[in-house]
Amino acid sequence: MHCKIDLPAQWVDASGLERALQRGGDPHGLGVYDVWIRFPAGCKMMTDATIRLLSLTNQLAFTTRRVRLDFDEGKAGTMGYLNRIGFFDHLAPEVEVTPCRPSYSGAALFRGGNAGVVEIARINKDHRDRGLPERLTEAVSRSCGTRADAAELEGAAWMIFAELIDNVFSHSETPLDGYAALQVYKNGNRLMVAVSDSGLGIMETLRPTLQTESPKLASLSDVDLLVEVFRHGLSRHGIDRGCGLKGSAAKAIKFKADLDVRLPTQRVFLSPARDSYQANTAYCYDRLPLLWGTHIGFIFALEA
Amino acid sequence: MKLLNETSMVIGLREFMDNDQGWGRTQGREVYQRLLGFVEANPGQIVFKISMKGVKRVDISFASETLVELAKRYRGLKGFCIVDMSDADMIENWAAAAERKGQPLFLWNGEECRVIGVEPSQGNREALQFAMTRPNVRAAEFAEAVPGMSIANASTKFKQLWERGFLLRRESVADTGGVEFVYQRIG
Repeated sequence: MHCKIDLPAQWVDASGLERALQRGGDPHGLGVYDVWIRFPAGCKMMTDATIRLLSLTNQLAFTTRRVRLDFDEGKAGTMGYLNRIGFFDHLAPEVEVTPCRPSYSGAALFRGGNAGVVEIARINKDHRDRGLPERLTEAVSRSCGTRADAAELEGAAWMIFAELIDNVFSHSETPLDGYAALQVYKNGNRLMVAVSDSGLGIMETLRPTLQTESPKLASLSDVDLLVEVFRHGLSRHGIDRGCGLKGSAAKAIKFKADLDVRLPTQRVFLSPARDSYQANTAYCYDRLPLLWGTHIGFIFALEA
Repeated sequence: MKLLNETSMVIGLREFMDNDQGWGRTQGREVYQRLLGFVEANPGQIVFKISMKGVKRVDISFASETLVELAKRYRGLKGFCIVDMSDADMIENWAAAAERKGQPLFLWNGEECRVIGVEPSQGNREALQFAMTRPNVRAAEFAEAVPGMSIANASTKFKQLWERGFLLRRESVADTGGVEFVYQRIG
């Protein structure tokens, strides 16, 4: 049985990717051996959707499914952008690409050249890149350097990357790489900070210890527990830890950033309400097609 | 008798770090071990002022594993405070780390000081403020300064502040010949 995912012929963000996945069926499903992802003419991938798709594609290849990426426009379309940000550098070699993979790495050629675009960075706990948060954040100063709040924005982006990436090192428990990327969308006045990993997912790592560490929280729903993580902090290691996600949220809230968290079969979208993220203003989507891991995106609103 | 604050030592956190950015728990633990080694190599030193000069950034996890953990480990025995830190972003991160571990940290800016992470309880606030205005204080001095305050009450307040990491103390001989504690600020 095969699963066909048709991406839309327009800008595709994380929500657009989810809609395409739901239409296409469950690529991780039992009996699915062949997955075909089509990028039609006019399809333009955004950064948060790109690294989730990269994680998904590599997960499917890891499970020995046959995976094909089909670019209708060839190098002329979104393939060129994906090449520019290093998508093909991180794509599992078994994945087939039509018409063909780019013959050179656009990311390697143009690295750091465009103020608004940042290449996808690999997160692997056996190859820790100590300068990673700094490099990712340099794009903020390159493209937002003239803003009055540039230093604060840079500090916030750095800390979010530092905490999210360290979480992947500490908790992810998977041989697959995680990914981080940042993009400034000048026209949309947005800054997107995204980290994806293919591990067990926050809930799976937290819940086992909740009974002993914080029994009152064990009865919370996944959404409520997730909000608790970002509002008050929580860790499987005890009550004096668990400040990374909370700290990241605190920085993001100052910029009224939306928070998008994709878990294996759920997605929670939080908009800031007053000074925090709250459960009653969360959108939650359940029973989504399986995507291993935790995929977090902060979308900052940049006032002109 | 040597006043303890006269011997507070200033050390730069940057010297214990591999670069100017403190990132994550693993790096934090490496730096913690180096700090610990330094503290143990200076056994007579009671108060350490940690300078943030040259430290560009830290995340909360790094802050938590380094200075906050160190202060918590030595709570009541040795004191650690921060100097040369004015960046609001950095202060926020250190405060978050300190709050998580329930460990107060004092930030000194010249003669001015603020506490981050944990606030003293309402009832002990005045006692702490009194203690912060001088290098050393005895319960009797505070009792004398505040109308209606007994020495026993003052003593309880200072003891609570000591237990929670806001003050240090050492034993001394009272005028009456008994044991008395001398409390001192950190910094």
